[in-house]
Formats: sequence, structure tokens, C-alpha cells
Amino acid sequence: MDTVLEVADLAALPEGKLRAVYPQGLPVLLVRSGAKVFALENRCSHMGCPLSDGSLDGHVLKCPCHDWRFDVRDGKFLDAPEIRLKTYPAEISNGRVYVRLI
Amino acid sequence: MSFETRKKALRFLFGPTVDKLGYKFTPNEEDADFLLEQEAAIEAETGIPYCPCQARSKDRAANMRMVCPCIPFHRGHYDAMRRCWCGLFVHKDVTDPDGLRQLPEPGWRKLEVGGAGRHPR
Amino acid sequence: MKKVTIYALSTCLWCRKTKKFFEDKKVPFETVDYDKQDESRQTEMLAEMKESGYSGAFPFTRIGNACVQGYDPVEFERLLEKR
Repeated sequence: MDTVLEVADLAALPEGKLRAVYPQGLPVLLVRSGAKVFALENRCSHMGCPLSDGSLDGHVLKCPCHDWRFDVRDGKFLDAPEIRLKTYPAEISNGRVYVRLI
Repeated sequence: MSFETRKKALRFLFGPTVDKLGYKFTPNEEDADFLLEQEAAIEAETGIPYCPCQARSKDRAANMRMVCPCIPFHRGHYDAMRRCWCGLFVHKDVTDPDGLRQLPEPGWRKLEVGGAGRHPR
Repeated sequence: MKKVTIYALSTCLWCRKTKKFFEDKKVPFETVDYDKQDESRQTEMLAEMKESGYSGAFPFTRIGNACVQGYDPVEFERLLEKR
């Protein structure tokens, strides 16, 4: 069953910064992009490195360990579309960020 | 020093990734064990499981293209060989990896007279 | 007999197979392990491989004036026999 959980205040998510949260213990990465927030699994598909320690250039998220690059909008690994990070629907309501765990 | 535990961990980490790319560990268990042993040793020394058959340099971007599994960064080349360069991974349909050849990377020009030309890119 | 030089990595399975090929053929060869060299020699070796038209993947074998990248027994034979 889907679970919707509040994970952060929008004001605490500056544009271009990476933020790790742990709803129900799951490692989730939040990325704010304008009026949207993207939520992805906070573990690189390669060797499990925490992506929140990586860097962001526009929509491109780069893993800190071995530079694997992902699109935060859909989780796709840029060098092989068959590989992608799990993504979670994220919503903003009354200045708070909610993530649907599916 | 024994790397048995780390070799198992690398198998566990890389298996699902290469599966999505259409590859599997080579069925030649002796070769797979040797190559994983080298990667675990390289990782113990450098912190990164680089390909044991490619040269690292001071260029980080180039080095990152040879961290195992490096298939995504050499896709056309490896698909043509039906294996990765070091041979740790082969296409899923390969049953006899010993029959596969190592081919130079396309785009690198083969010269029979040394020093007579340059890489065309 | 043509001069044979093998640029190798000590960690590379196919470099070992290449050395064994020439040992079994009783063809004398020189071998240089890239990963055992200092940084300046490594830079030279990589430049030499690229100058010959190849990337930085090992083994890299020079047979006379010709070069082979990878373990390729058929090509080794051909180049050894070629006049």
C-alpha cells in the first residue's frame, strides 16, 4: 500500500542543493528545481554510494564515488538508459514536502 | 591477504547492473575468479575497483570510464566483442568465452608502421 | 627474428596469456609492466601506444614495426611469419 509521508520543509530545500531524508528508514534524496521537488533513491545504482554527497549541474546528478550521472527528473543513468534510480512521487503542500513511498 | 569476501561483494554489486545491460559474469570460473581477485586488490590499494586490463592516468574523467563494470562507457566496442575488455563479463548468450577475440576499440586506427600516424579523433 | 615487446599490466589476464603465447613459441620478448613503472615512464608508454593508433587498453604488443592491441594469437602468428 502507498504511504505518503512529510519529509521536509520546502524552505529548508535550497535550489541546487542535495538533501538526504529517511522516511520509514528509506534513503531518499530530495532535489528542488524551481517549483518542483524530485525524490529519488539515495543510493547509486553502481556501488550504492550516497548520492546526496554528489553534485548537481542543472538536472544532472553526479555520484561522488565514480562520477555516474543521472537525470533527477526520471532517475535515468545518462550512459545507459536501462539503468535508473528508483524515483518517488513528491508533492508540495503548504510549504511542506511530501513523498509517496511506492 | 585474502579478498574472498570482497570478491563475493563485488559479484553481488555488479551482477544486477550488468544483467540490465545484457551481460553476465563469464562462465569461465577460473578467469572470473582471477579477474575479481585483481579488482579487489586494486580496490584495496586505490579505493576503486578499476578494470585490471586498462591503464589509469592522471585524468580522472578517463579513469572513471574504466571503473568496473565499465560496459556503459564502451558499449559499442564491447557489444562488438560480446564481452568487456578484461573478459569478466560476456553477453548473456555466450557459452564459450574462450572463442571470443579482443578487438581494438573502433576509432583507433591500426598502423603497421609505428609512429607513422596519429589517432584520427 | 623480429623484435617483440609487450606492454602489459601485472593485473591483466590477457597480458599473461600473451606472454605465455610467446614463451610457448620460444620467441624471445621484452615485457614492461605499466603499473610497475614510475609516473613519467607511464606517461611515455601511454603516449607511445596512442601514437601507434591505440587506446590505453592492455596488452599492447609490438612485433617488428607492427602493433597489436589485445590478446590475438592469430594476428601474432601472422606478424611473426610476415616478412
